[in-house]
Amino acid sequence: MPPQKRVITRRDFLRTGSCVVMGSLMGLPLIGQAAGQSPPPSRVVLVRDARVTTGYGSLQPATLENMLDQALTTLLDAPDPASAWQQLFKPADVVGLKSNVWGPLPTPASLEDAIVHRLLRLGVDAQNIAVDDRGIRRNPVFEKATALINVRPMRTHHWSGLGTLLKNYIMFTSAPWSYHGNACERLGAIWHKPQVAGKTRLNILVMLTPLFHGIGPHHFSRTYTWPYGGLIISTDPVAADATGARIIQAKRNAYFGTEKPIGPRPLHIEAADTQFGLGQSHPDRIELIKLGWNQDILI
Amino acid sequence: MQTTPLSEAPFMRVLILITVFLAFPMTLTARADSLKQLQQNLPTRVLNWTAEPADQFYDPATIFSYIDGGAEVYKAYHMQQCFSRRYANPGAPAIVLDIFDMGSSLNAFGVFTHDTDGEVLALGQDARLKPGWLSFWSDRFFVSIYTEEETPAAAQAVRALGQQVAGRIKPQGAKPRILARLPTEGLDSGSIRYLHHPVVLNYHYYLADENILDISHRTPAVLARYQRDRKEARLLLVDYPDPQSAEKALAGFLKDYLPDADSRGAALLENGRWAAAELQGQLLAVVLESDTRQLAVSLLAQVFNSK
Repeated sequence: MPPQKRVITRRDFLRTGSCVVMGSLMGLPLIGQAAGQSPPPSRVVLVRDARVTTGYGSLQPATLENMLDQALTTLLDAPDPASAWQQLFKPADVVGLKSNVWGPLPTPASLEDAIVHRLLRLGVDAQNIAVDDRGIRRNPVFEKATALINVRPMRTHHWSGLGTLLKNYIMFTSAPWSYHGNACERLGAIWHKPQVAGKTRLNILVMLTPLFHGIGPHHFSRTYTWPYGGLIISTDPVAADATGARIIQAKRNAYFGTEKPIGPRPLHIEAADTQFGLGQSHPDRIELIKLGWNQDILI
Repeated sequence: MQTTPLSEAPFMRVLILITVFLAFPMTLTARADSLKQLQQNLPTRVLNWTAEPADQFYDPATIFSYIDGGAEVYKAYHMQQCFSRRYANPGAPAIVLDIFDMGSSLNAFGVFTHDTDGEVLALGQDARLKPGWLSFWSDRFFVSIYTEEETPAAAQAVRALGQQVAGRIKPQGAKPRILARLPTEGLDSGSIRYLHHPVVLNYHYYLADENILDISHRTPAVLARYQRDRKEARLLLVDYPDPQSAEKALAGFLKDYLPDADSRGAALLENGRWAAAELQGQLLAVVLESDTRQLAVSLLAQVFNSK
């Protein structure tokens, strides 16, 4: 007889004194280092340019491309952008670019185009590149992908607190709603699914005009976006999300003039670190490199 | 102690079930027509905003294409249909009117209580206004009016549109009967959440990764916050279809959540607060978190003395 599944309750969280429970409690392995070992800090590059946008709906694609190249080169200590892309991808790769089509704040098409252009220039075959969001489970390129690029705007989110890079992979599941419990805390589990595990080479969190507060059924008002003009780039999705979350939280506090916690609390970021071993969420384990425009950087 | 059952007697429930079953196709049509009828009476112009030509209707199957993410809330409250109209004003942000036919006033009230932050307005049967968004409920309808960007003129138009829409719906919806079982002393009325779906409970108060209280469309429930003498507590009431279901739910809750409960059904939580549960008849009362044991026990006692 199979062992009975143990119910995880709020009290389990209270017992650990943390928002997340131990991986073993969830029946999932804690992935990561052996006891006593400490992984190196995750590098995150935040690049900003005041000229890239003047606000919601405006975008300067050429400036955006420069930001992308600058950030990636710095992230990988590469001598130039082409070398940086070569460090991440080979011409034989089959690359799925996981985008986000959410109507009010989609991944900018010009950013998708810029990435595809760089992959083509690297020698990746056009038929081995796909940009998709809701159709990824039926997309032949994604089905045979050897590499994934994860790119999406950051925003507040009704169920998960924040729409993050981690959450962007929810479309790899057949039942996204099944991850909504406890503020989508278990999103990290998706990253261990066979079609995803170990394939993500690059994460780009778009912070051009992030949404820092949501209202109404559509969870959107331009009132709660602002021209931050940034991109956050890392090979560690947890570190990138944690960095973006700090900026969103700082913006909320500044805008509302008081401590205004993101609601619900985006537990999935911390859980992705401590429970699912996907990266590092604590600022002291993140090497944050800031490039470009520094005004009102909030971090 | 014997309590008054919240539901009808068994033979009455069977009768109601048969009636609902026979009337179901007709009811659906009537509801759809009603929202259509409401559509005919809605303003086509509000201040300098004019209705765009194509109104939209969404049903439970298509609502996800319109509302990404949050649609699950409306589904959890049994949304029947959603009507949407956009008002445009060149050079100004659009205003979006969404009217949800929730099928019953109970569900309209419930979905309204999902988010009750904001300024209280005297509109419909209860309304809230926050920057960029006005919401209210009336009869079986939940109405949302939001502007894509808050400007003084748009804010004025949102209010004006709200007044006009509210004027076209009779504010005659009944509230859930279970609300009457909430003790009034120290009740934060703005914290009341009416629900009958475990996902909604977990949104407001995460309890467990399983539905350990067997909450379903057959179990109206209410969650509320209390403050007395600067001590706080959260109370959950669940009305089960029969005492047997309630007993089963309580047994499961005690097993999974309060295995260390004392003879009064109370236990000290790991954060230093108290939880407690008590069942009488088909009504289960759970104090989820209380600053003191005394407050928890007192709330439970008042629930079952308040009939």
